[in-house]
Amino acid sequence: MSAQPSPVNLAAVLARGDIWRGDALPGLPAGTIASGHAELDAELPGGGWPRGNLTEILVDRGGIGEISLLLPALARLSGEGGLLALVAPPWLPHAPAWAAAGVAPERLLVIQPGKQGAWCVEQLLRCGGFAGLLAWPAGGIDARALRRLQVAAEGQSVFAVLWRSTADAATPSPAPLRLTLTAGTDRLALRILKRRGRPASRLLQIDIPRPGRNKRVVAGPAFSPADTGSPAAAAVA
Amino acid sequence: MPGQKLSTALGLLPGLRVCERDPAREARALADLACWAGRFTPTLSLAPPAGLLLEIGGCRRLFGGIEAIVAAVLDGCRAQGWSADWAVAPTPLGARWLARAGAACTVETMAALQQALAALPCTVPDWPAEIAARLDSFGLRHLGELIAQPAAGLRRRIGNGPVDDLLRARGEIPDPQRVFIFPERFAAGLELPSRVEFAEGLAFAAQRLLAALAGWLQVRQGLLRACTLRLTHDDGSTSVLPLRFGEACADEGRFMRLLREHLGRLQLAAPVEALHLDADEVIARPGASAGLFEQAASGEGAAACIERLRARLGDAAVRSLAVHADHRPECATKSGDPAGVFAAQAALTATFTTPRPLWLLPAPQLLAERADGPHWHGPLQLVTRGERLESGWWDSGETGATGDLRRDYFVARNRQGQWAWVFRDAQGWYLHGVFA
Repeated sequence: MSAQPSPVNLAAVLARGDIWRGDALPGLPAGTIASGHAELDAELPGGGWPRGNLTEILVDRGGIGEISLLLPALARLSGEGGLLALVAPPWLPHAPAWAAAGVAPERLLVIQPGKQGAWCVEQLLRCGGFAGLLAWPAGGIDARALRRLQVAAEGQSVFAVLWRSTADAATPSPAPLRLTLTAGTDRLALRILKRRGRPASRLLQIDIPRPGRNKRVVAGPAFSPADTGSPAAAAVA
Repeated sequence: MPGQKLSTALGLLPGLRVCERDPAREARALADLACWAGRFTPTLSLAPPAGLLLEIGGCRRLFGGIEAIVAAVLDGCRAQGWSADWAVAPTPLGARWLARAGAACTVETMAALQQALAALPCTVPDWPAEIAARLDSFGLRHLGELIAQPAAGLRRRIGNGPVDDLLRARGEIPDPQRVFIFPERFAAGLELPSRVEFAEGLAFAAQRLLAALAGWLQVRQGLLRACTLRLTHDDGSTSVLPLRFGEACADEGRFMRLLREHLGRLQLAAPVEALHLDADEVIARPGASAGLFEQAASGEGAAACIERLRARLGDAAVRSLAVHADHRPECATKSGDPAGVFAAQAALTATFTTPRPLWLLPAPQLLAERADGPHWHGPLQLVTRGERLESGWWDSGETGATGDLRRDYFVARNRQGQWAWVFRDAQGWYLHGVFA
């Protein structure tokens, strides 16, 4: 008699991280960290930012609230005593602002890797000692280098974000989660390009805390050097 | 062949390289090797000119048996370029004699030791030549035959020394050893057998020094924070290669990885003929509990990673941040030593009621101004009231200092949705930060 295939419990199969129903989002085996935005958590597999995986965020212009989107998660990682690393950030971090957001500046490393950005990110991911990593890779990073980074991140508990330009949206990438950010009218518009599970089509509008009041516009003082009365202006005059 | 004339040896082998024997260097090499062996046991003694006695009875369980210890010792010797004859025996002299005869065996009981010693030729102990000749003339070739002789007569004929040696080797009279004292400060030198012209070529020789250092740290229960490798060039000049560790450690593999990074970037001014290693900063090792279960995270950990990044990218490229109490935004951030990230820190004390941007430009950027105000990727709308910062009279005029500021800061946004921190002073509008 031929051997019967052993009956497999469907629930046991579905509990695996790499198998999911087409209409649902899989849980991530490496765990997630809540993003602090309920509407975003509902759309992310596992209910939060993935750990041990690359997350690509495509954004063209800085200053639309892209870091503020991550701050709740970063503050939680930092508050648990985790180390965060910024690799090749576009500007200098202003420590009082990071501290006020809950990220301990002394556990925030700023690394200027020069031309060795990919090597540097790979080392940081692989060493397993960092809780979070934000990296601004040089424009020419290719799929092979990204693949190396994804492999390095796997099995670690690091929340790794690569910032890239929206021009790279069409090129394939091994990162399991990719999203684009654009500035909406009052809020941040977020579109998930790629995620594990069913594809997302909805454009998410996310409220980001912004400095000052949104609606009010203040008239600035008129520019007239003569009546400022500062020593420099006096010297010019 | 010992005792052969140099002319005979050169006649037999014309290409023979002859070296002068240097007892001082031999003694130094033996002391370095003893330091290295400190990783196996704290109780060891020197048996000059070429013997090293390790008391391993107390650490058999730690290493998992005699075989494991022997294998580790031999591997370590081989890695440092030494060839070793070895033996394990219950008495120190017995072990030395067996090793000198090339026995390479482990003898655990006294009975087995006495049996093994009986088979050794009488030339194995380094007794004076006339005694060896006298024994030879008696027709006594092996120690076993010597043992069988009546002791009183033997003492009369060859003296007390050899007979006592024999009794010590057989464990019949005690044989206390002078314990090797590990030096208070570690400093070791090594003359290279040939000149080394490429920095990478130094790694092998330096490994011997670092291995000795690791053994010394183990015995002294210390952790190394910094050490200095001094290279002596063939023209007599020296150059210095300092090694600093992000986190104090005692791991030889980590020493080597850091050294390789440094050697990879080092340009030798001249060929090197000697190395000298000094342990500069050694701290006491704090006790730590090992994990009860398999809970070690994969990867080398942050400290080792930071250290490697600093070695390759330079110290200035890897910094941590610190808040500095200064109202001038340029001065409110200080970069700190990343070694401090592992120290416990005080709670956050940042109190700003007014918004501060996450990013600051390296230097304020002058903005174009049109009729509708400042422009940055389009016209900027001011969102908040001005915040005046007027501070810094104390370092105005000093070179490199920010100096006296008098600025009105505003939060502004442009049509692309970018939020900026701009200020106005007597010269005009500047972009200073970005609310990311």
